[in-house]
Amino acid sequence: MSSTLEKPQIIAHIQKSLNYTVFDSRWIPCSAKFVCMGNFARGTGVIQIYEIQQGELQLVKEIEKAKPIKCGTFGATSLQQRHLATGDFDGSLNVWNLEMPECPVYSVKAHKEIINSIDGVGGLGIGDGAPEIVTGSRDGTVKVWDSRQKDTPVVNMEPMEGETKRDCWTVAFGHAFNDQDRCVCAGYDNGDIKLFDLRNMSLRWETNIRNGVCSVEFDRKDINMNKLVATSLEGKFHVFDMRTQHPTNGFASVSEKAHKSTVWQVRHLPQNRDVFMTAGGAGNLHLWKYEYPAQRTKKDADNVDMGVAGSVNLLQNVTLSTQPISSLDWSPDKQGLCVCSSFDQSVRVLIVTKLNTV
Amino acid sequence: MPLIVRDHTWTQNQNTVYISVPLKGVKTANVHVICTDEYLKVSFPPFLFEIFLFGPINEEKSEARIGNGVAVFTLQKRTDELWEQLFTNIDKDKQKHIREQAILKVQEKEAEKSKAKATRIQQEKKYALETMMKLENEERDRIQKMKDEECAKATAQLDFWRETQRKAAEENENQQKLQRTGTNNNQLVYQKTERANATPAVTLLHNTGNTTSGQISRKQKPKDLPAPRSAGCIKISFTPRVFPTALRESHVPEEEEWLKKQAEARRAVDTDLAELSDLKEEERNPDWLKEKGDKLFMAGNYLAAVNAYNLAIKLNRKIPALFSNRAACHLKLRNLHKAIEDSSQALELLTPAVAANAPARLKAHVRRGTAFCELELYVEGLQDYQAALDIDPHNVALQADTDKIREIIQGTT
Repeated sequence: MSSTLEKPQIIAHIQKSLNYTVFDSRWIPCSAKFVCMGNFARGTGVIQIYEIQQGELQLVKEIEKAKPIKCGTFGATSLQQRHLATGDFDGSLNVWNLEMPECPVYSVKAHKEIINSIDGVGGLGIGDGAPEIVTGSRDGTVKVWDSRQKDTPVVNMEPMEGETKRDCWTVAFGHAFNDQDRCVCAGYDNGDIKLFDLRNMSLRWETNIRNGVCSVEFDRKDINMNKLVATSLEGKFHVFDMRTQHPTNGFASVSEKAHKSTVWQVRHLPQNRDVFMTAGGAGNLHLWKYEYPAQRTKKDADNVDMGVAGSVNLLQNVTLSTQPISSLDWSPDKQGLCVCSSFDQSVRVLIVTKLNTV
Repeated sequence: MPLIVRDHTWTQNQNTVYISVPLKGVKTANVHVICTDEYLKVSFPPFLFEIFLFGPINEEKSEARIGNGVAVFTLQKRTDELWEQLFTNIDKDKQKHIREQAILKVQEKEAEKSKAKATRIQQEKKYALETMMKLENEERDRIQKMKDEECAKATAQLDFWRETQRKAAEENENQQKLQRTGTNNNQLVYQKTERANATPAVTLLHNTGNTTSGQISRKQKPKDLPAPRSAGCIKISFTPRVFPTALRESHVPEEEEWLKKQAEARRAVDTDLAELSDLKEEERNPDWLKEKGDKLFMAGNYLAAVNAYNLAIKLNRKIPALFSNRAACHLKLRNLHKAIEDSSQALELLTPAVAANAPARLKAHVRRGTAFCELELYVEGLQDYQAALDIDPHNVALQADTDKIREIIQGTT
């Protein structure tokens, strides 16, 4: 009995039922507030800010916008400004100052179709280099934006002429360990994962994991890329060891089947880069820990370095609802605090205990 | 017949009768006693001892001790009186009656005993179950308590953290207010440090509070971010697959079938030597003939195109495009029935219906539909146009034509 209680416990601290479909929820850095984004039944977008007070969620602000909002990030703003960058169903990228949300700080019609995923890097005092936002959309393109440059993206990753386009479902920044280097990883609905190097403006690596890629995330954005987790349909996720790239085999990976349904999200714990949580389509959350192998590289037949993938252990799992959990975000300030939202129109604040001993 | 035992001995006092019956070497386990208030029977095969007692006894209080080759009965009398003799002389009927009663009584007693035993077992089981449940509940409660403690601890930590956050935020605000009023001072101070390379007095002023000094320095220092990246474009291609649909969307078995059919069609070449002997080498290739036919069609020479397609079909009956194109030629030649036949043939060859042969099917449906309409079989024509619209719902011309046909049908009925 005691050993089971020494495992990290996932405790549903607060649950709140909302009157709109919520697609994304993010902590506001350096505060006990978080933002929920979604759309009302009447077809308009909504951003709500909640604060945790004495075991209850208090609505601080509600902002209604013309188009439903699919995703948002604080990744590219400074800690003082804390502007929220959102992508909406219409393909517009907007950066909002939540104190004065009437007019966006930066706005551009980024894509022709819905922006499925957004990520930011260079802000919040993490990492060096210019703050940039990357958006991935159903029109098959991935674009990188800088808020100092209007109307045109700084990088555009688009299909070649005549190529049938696949929806881009997820994007993530990584490898931003100095102000020159940066990588963008994009996952598509046909199972393609592509890693773009923005310093060389080229495709660095690509692979296909056969099932549509729902979520990719590097374990840390601001270091030499270490691990990448990609989750997909049919309950599988892959962990790639990104330190060693083999010329033909690419990156070593280990894959795990869990959740028995689509794995919607993966999020690494900001305080420990080997612990991550996956959110599944059956409303369950699994907490995993990655164990490194004894040797991270080995030589293959031609004496070329290739990576060795480690193993993944399930620490804890919990079922919170019957609907998929669409978004998950760890609080960067308090270890173990996270907010998740699911398609049963509810948002939950969870506490995961004992992560310091994991 | 059992042997009747008569060499028993008995004594009595005021309230008890003692009877001693020798067991004559029979084992104690084989001794069976039936005793009622007026009757005592001891049967130890092959011996039998029975007496009808002189007076009533209290059967419950009486006891029998069987062992050491003798059975000793201690019978408690109901009435305290001395008996003249041990047994009474009663007639056979009464004896029989008493015997039967005795047996009945014994049976009843046994039944009662077994019932009592059953209830006792039941109760014990229930008790065991209850204690088990209690233990399990306790265990569960203990675990729940531990979990709740964890939860409470975590929420307490959360509240504490939030409080500290709030306090920090308030402090920040206050410092900011101070800072706003004294910005000039600080600017001068900062410039001094720039020039004089941080004299101690000045640095003290900066270290009024960690966050505040950080803020101040950040506000004053110019933002030295790198310039926006020069625009770049990376072209990508997606994983090739014969059918460009993702695994989850594909109708893999049907697609495999279609591929196989295509491959077979390529291979099937009926060669009929007699007719082909006077053909040139290239004219034996169905693809070449199809191209020839297409060119003749474009040029307007429909009869020649039909001939080309005929030859190609003779060589290879499995290529749907040949039938479809021949249908187009017949349409132009107003051989409407032939057009219908050919496009039907083409559609048959174009099963199973997959994304790859959609354009071909679309064309075949349109051609057949047109032929039907020319023959004034509008309903069949509408069916074909509807099928074509299913394949390509966004085709404006197709929609217009379908609507027209519908109007004609509605006009004539």
